Amino acid sequence: MNWGQFAITVVTLVSIFGVVTLVLNMQYGQAGMINFGVVAYFAAGAYTYILLTQAPPSETSLDQYVIGLELPVWVGFIGAALAGLVFAAITGWPTLRLRGEYLALTTFAFAEVFHSFIVNEQRFANGTRGLVGVPRPYREQITFIDYDIALAIGALVFLVIVFVIFERIVQSPYGRSLEALRDDELALTTVGKRTSRFRLEVFLFTAPFAAMAGAFYVWFTTLAIPDLFTAEVTFIVWIALIVGGEASNRGALIGITLVVVFEELVRTIPFKTIRGAQIAAELEVAALGILLIVFLRWQPFAALTRATRRLVR
Amino acid sequence: MRVIQLVVLGIGTGAFLLLATLGFALVRRVEGFLNIAHAELMSVAAFTTWYLNTELGWHFLLAGAVALALTGVLSLMIARLIYDPIKHLGPAILLITSVGVAFLLHGVTAAVVGVGIRSFTIPRLSAFTVGGVLITPYRLVLLGLAAVASIALALFLNKTRTGKSIRAMAINRDLAGSRGVDIDAASRATWFASGVLAGLGGIALGILGTLTTDIAFQQILVILAVAIVAGLGSLYGVIAAAFIVALAMDLSLLILPGGYRPVVAFAIVILVLLFRPEGVAGQKGRAAA
Repeated sequence: MNWGQFAITVVTLVSIFGVVTLVLNMQYGQAGMINFGVVAYFAAGAYTYILLTQAPPSETSLDQYVIGLELPVWVGFIGAALAGLVFAAITGWPTLRLRGEYLALTTFAFAEVFHSFIVNEQRFANGTRGLVGVPRPYREQITFIDYDIALAIGALVFLVIVFVIFERIVQSPYGRSLEALRDDELALTTVGKRTSRFRLEVFLFTAPFAAMAGAFYVWFTTLAIPDLFTAEVTFIVWIALIVGGEASNRGALIGITLVVVFEELVRTIPFKTIRGAQIAAELEVAALGILLIVFLRWQPFAALTRATRRLVR
Repeated sequence: MRVIQLVVLGIGTGAFLLLATLGFALVRRVEGFLNIAHAELMSVAAFTTWYLNTELGWHFLLAGAVALALTGVLSLMIARLIYDPIKHLGPAILLITSVGVAFLLHGVTAAVVGVGIRSFTIPRLSAFTVGGVLITPYRLVLLGLAAVASIALALFLNKTRTGKSIRAMAINRDLAGSRGVDIDAASRATWFASGVLAGLGGIALGILGTLTTDIAFQQILVILAVAIVAGLGSLYGVIAAAFIVALAMDLSLLILPGGYRPVVAFAIVILVLLFRPEGVAGQKGRAAA
């Protein structure tokens, strides 16, 4: 097999999903809010980017979507971020009242409603057929380097930027307030902080990054079908965060790297039969489940990734 | 007319939802967390029944009984091996762990069963009409099954010693323990009963239609909706909630395309959590927050 191509794919996917994992880490690891609907920001960004940049539907094609604005790539990218912000605002206001598993359910419900909308509303994005052949940005201009490598570098730069921003936030007084929100909300209230404001703010400032990662994702896949944006994305990111050890940005990145490498390695195994490939794919799901169970219980990397901080309980 | 037809449909759906949710609600009440893996247990029961019934040619009832016993034991084993050791980490960690268990069960079931559409080998009963309303016999069977399961669970919880222990434990685990209730035995009974009820739900799914390995995940969404609407109240809350959610979903067909049925369930979840987090039958200030 081609290890060069493998490395490029891994770097791209780790960078894209790494950003989503960092977002989840900020929400859950730092601020203690369980979000089971992270995929919704990711999907909102991906679809918004396409709707803003794609060509209007032609009369002759089988396309059923109605929006295609043909705007420049950068407008689409900013639009994706704004879509994440809007979605976070819609899903964020319940967070002012809900905690723990009830928040998990509400965010999950919002994500599923959005997914159903994408699947059922043909006029939005062709329903289950999805949008295919999404043009890759600046395809003509990038001639000096293989496009896949350029995209991998771009995604990696984006990841590094998000990582640096999030690290700064975590180390700031604001970041410590978020940790207090997670560990002892009552204490935070007694020192005069408005906890409900923090809860909404975390959703609002993190979601746009996940949405922008969604735009990177359609550049990578060149298509957007509902199957790419299921609850499985949410759970993969969760597994990555748990494996790496929550409340640590470094841990989040270690976790997503392990999960992506694992998934891509399984994908490269050559199978003689379709049945064999199918069994491998399902056993991969089972293995991810075992990873989640084992890492939640023993937290083997927790000591490694945040030696000085106590475990989240 | 169409409204009456949809109401009849909704009652059948409600019977299924009740079967699917009873065990989930029991665990939620007694063990205090949302066990996402519940739906995958349904899938295990459905495919075990399918294998014994259709592939090996066993009688449907025998195959079903074996599947129920299997899911009961499996549920108990999962609880002992996976959930109990991390109980001290709280309901959120248990919830996330149960997602892992769901992945594990789903992966193994799908790897063993493979892709394709499966169905039980049971007699084909044709639907009949009463006053212009179409009635499917198997939906009536489900209604009977749901009634029997609910009454049996109610009798178990109210009349037997273990059932009373479970109720005591649901209200205050520590107090029940210190007053001499055998908490471990009650917990085992809870998990076993929940597994058997999940099995019933899974078999009901196979009776209603055809089976694919993805079917369970679609159910957990609606089960969660029923459980949230029911709140942490009594068994009767679950019964009411199952029919409320089912009727809302089926009556939505009057104004929305069929693909939006699950969305209706979710809209109910969101509305209930925002405006009445204690559920239809719960007391104020007990749940949520």
